[in-house]
Amino acid sequence: MSANGSILSTVSTTKVFGGLLAVSDVSIDVGPKSIVSIIGPNGAGKTTFFNMLTGLYRPTAGRILFDGQDVTGRRPDLITAAGVARTFQNIRLFSTMSALENVMVGAHTRMRAGLFGSILRTPSVRREEAAITENAHEMLDYVGLKRDLHEQTAANLSYGDQRRVEIARALASDPKLLLLDEPTAGMNPQESQALTQFMDQLRREKDLTILLIEHDMKVVMGVSEHIWVLDHGEKIAEGEPDEIRQNNRVIEAYLGKQES
Amino acid sequence: MEAAGISADAALKPRTSEVVAEFISRYGLIAILIAFPAYYGIQDLINDGNLNRIGNNLVDGLSNGAIWALVALGYTLVYGIIELINFAHGEIFMIGAFSAFALWEPLGITADTGTAALILGLLVTMVAAMLVSGSLNVMIERVGYRPLRGAPKLAPLITAVGFSFILQNVGILWLGASQRAVPDLIHSQRELFGFFGVSVSRGDVLAFVAMIPLVLLLTSFVGQSRLGKAMRATAQDPEAAKLMGINVDTTISLTFLLGGLLAGAAGLINTLYQTNVWFFQGFTAGLIAFTAAVMGGIGNLRGAVLGGLIIGCIQQISDNRIGNEWTPAVIFAYLVLIMTFRPQGLIGEETREAG
Amino acid sequence: MSTIQELRTKPWAAYLLPGVVIIAAALFPLFRPPLDGFMDDCILALAYVMMALGLNLVVGFAGLLDLGYVAFYALGAMAVGWWASDFFTGAGGEKGIHIGVTGFAKTLPGIHVNFLLLVVGAIIVCAVAGAIIGLPTLRLRGDYIAIVTLAFGEIIGRIFANGDEITFFGDYKLSNGRQSISPIDSIDVPALAPFDSALNLRPYYWTIFAMVLVVLFVNFRLRDSKLGRAWIALREDEVAAASMGVPLVKTKLLAYATGGAFGGISGAFLGAYFSSVNANQFQFGFSIFILAMVILGGLGSIWGVVLGAVALSFVNIRLIPDVLDQGFVGDALRDAGLKFSFTEISFGVFGFILVIMMVLRPEGLLPERRRKMELTEGIGETESVFEARV
Repeated sequence: MSANGSILSTVSTTKVFGGLLAVSDVSIDVGPKSIVSIIGPNGAGKTTFFNMLTGLYRPTAGRILFDGQDVTGRRPDLITAAGVARTFQNIRLFSTMSALENVMVGAHTRMRAGLFGSILRTPSVRREEAAITENAHEMLDYVGLKRDLHEQTAANLSYGDQRRVEIARALASDPKLLLLDEPTAGMNPQESQALTQFMDQLRREKDLTILLIEHDMKVVMGVSEHIWVLDHGEKIAEGEPDEIRQNNRVIEAYLGKQES
Repeated sequence: MEAAGISADAALKPRTSEVVAEFISRYGLIAILIAFPAYYGIQDLINDGNLNRIGNNLVDGLSNGAIWALVALGYTLVYGIIELINFAHGEIFMIGAFSAFALWEPLGITADTGTAALILGLLVTMVAAMLVSGSLNVMIERVGYRPLRGAPKLAPLITAVGFSFILQNVGILWLGASQRAVPDLIHSQRELFGFFGVSVSRGDVLAFVAMIPLVLLLTSFVGQSRLGKAMRATAQDPEAAKLMGINVDTTISLTFLLGGLLAGAAGLINTLYQTNVWFFQGFTAGLIAFTAAVMGGIGNLRGAVLGGLIIGCIQQISDNRIGNEWTPAVIFAYLVLIMTFRPQGLIGEETREAG
Repeated sequence: MSTIQELRTKPWAAYLLPGVVIIAAALFPLFRPPLDGFMDDCILALAYVMMALGLNLVVGFAGLLDLGYVAFYALGAMAVGWWASDFFTGAGGEKGIHIGVTGFAKTLPGIHVNFLLLVVGAIIVCAVAGAIIGLPTLRLRGDYIAIVTLAFGEIIGRIFANGDEITFFGDYKLSNGRQSISPIDSIDVPALAPFDSALNLRPYYWTIFAMVLVVLFVNFRLRDSKLGRAWIALREDEVAAASMGVPLVKTKLLAYATGGAFGGISGAFLGAYFSSVNANQFQFGFSIFILAMVILGGLGSIWGVVLGAVALSFVNIRLIPDVLDQGFVGDALRDAGLKFSFTEISFGVFGFILVIMMVLRPEGLLPERRRKMELTEGIGETESVFEARV
């Protein structure tokens, strides 16, 4: 935990691509076990910001602190090992692997099996493999994937089921912070509602902090304890849902985009 | 809450560490390229008291390099537009060389032919070689790469390797498995002029004189013509190009055609210069020219020419000083170094993916 | 249910066919004379199977296109060339250095190390070499990986082909250049007399057969393990894999190292079997030969690759010279006035196989379930330029 009690803090995080300032001086503090959101019009830099949090991009400037450690510019797999997991905006499952195998890959950082252990299938490796398999089944059950679909190739699953598997895969690494990038994209209102309830359940049962990128305002307003608004890479507002709803700059940013 | 922010201006300036890294990798590459001739140049000064030997090396190197530049352009054009290494391109060069040579006898061109007839005859064979290589390249794209556009990058690359092998075998069947001497039509080794103790042969001049107009034609075509613009647009952003009404398929075929034309021309020039042909020349040429393209910056036309000239020099110095059995290893070592430390080459910019 | 259907449902059914094949292959030498041309071909085929399995690990499982696999063959072969022959005559004084060797070899000058120890040595050397070769490729895109690995294959091949010009510690040459290093010690297994390839091929057969079984075992174990899943994830979507915690560098290097090690074992075996090591064999064409086996059999499919390796090995040894050249096809062509020998075009044939397979059946003869989907339905390559145009 950082000094100010947040599980995640970014300090003036900035990302420049060539001449393009994608994210500019964004600082946020996320309290533990909270559900928080980042919103903003398209192209505001939200996914870029996520990518910095997970190590896919190295920030041009600024720092990122997670769980008391400075993870700025750390490799993605190390950040995952530290307890950050994510889903992607356009689902990135390993499509030719089964749902179960996808989730088992998610558990990579929790497994200790090495090259020789795997070849020899020592008792500890066997136990671990069985435990991870069982755990993967549980994760898939937890997100609501029917048992007979667990071994189904991921590419053959319905869109909704694929989203479920992605979340299960993220959960498999036993994270402290879960980053969900537009989890309700492509969902109808009932499904979005179900996901909202699910997120709440997750936060309670799995002792997680959840950071969302979302466009669906009902979901955002309904579930977030704190919201940050990005526009053109800058943080233009933050606060609780009610404040944000009435914030003029925010309204302008969204409306302005619609007019042009 | 206002944390200590940085101004947008400050954020846009590249970070010092990035600037330094860019500087080191670019000038480091230049340094290891220059070090090679410099080392031997110094040796010459000590041993001979003059720079004649290294001068000759460089002249021969530049002329070889002119040929490689033409082949490298083919690689870079294709890679620029579809991000595929046309592995068979070296063999396109070889087939061009073979085709040109094969026409000499039927056309009655020999070492004794008069100058005017010789020039005319050679132009005819050059055009023929260009057409053969160009159409072969287009055919390969059509048959082997286009059907695989939905497939992972692995697939067309393997097909390319397969074609390379097939064509090599065509070469074996055509003119045999050993090197084949060809008539020295232009007396390529005869000195044309000298300067400061360095000898420039007729072959050297030919290579350069032939390369320059071809390169100029190509760059003006790509830079100014409508089709050239279509090529550049497709290379930059294929989806946008399609939306703007550019026929992407035709544009790609055109690119392959151009690359093949240049390789065919290079084939003829090389045959005149080296006075021999060999089925295996495409493999070596291909890798040398590809190294040249990467060294200059893949996707970049000027880079391909620059890279070709540089690689030619390295090759010549290595042949002359270390031994030509080692030259491939030397060139590949440079290739590995470039790919490891500066894959964008000397001039290269990042092509499509940013960040 | 019919008997066949009943059999299919038994848990051990999947092992039935492979089991029968393995037992048949194990017993096969007993039904042939000790010195048998066909057994010779099979031994060679098995050595190629091992190499193809190694390359399959790199290209098939992890999706790293390695076009320089010949480097591992070279390193394994040179290991026995150096340390199981009289190449380094003069080492250890007049007597030579002997480790674990018995019988005749013990009296020879030069360095002589027991074959089994050399296999271990070849594994270590090739694993390290694999990691070194892999290092420059870590940040590169797929086709660049192909070029860099090809370059390494050529560099190593050339170094050995010109190794007679490199000397160290005074007179010791690095290799014999274009000439063979010969003879190589025969394989000497503890408790048995040293093998003699002029008298009895059976022990050689069983040795390579046993080694192939071990390699198969390792392949199956790895495929269904944490590492195997990591390789496939990496192959499918590197970015997602890294985000799930797969360490890209380590995982890729392990693929190169493990795959390369198999090549080294096979190279060492072949050196000992032929009793000769010649740097002329270390050509790019060899890498393509092995690659063609993997493609033919099916990228990533273990049994497929075995099939592909056996098939191409016999095409190379038998089909081309015996059936096509000497058989009716060759006669027909000669009658038509075409004068060429099929042996001359063996590499063209392999090139043709590569093209045909990629265009018509990219998933191979015995496809791995996953690859079939990737290659036929274009699934799994999120950032392919080609896909954008479809």
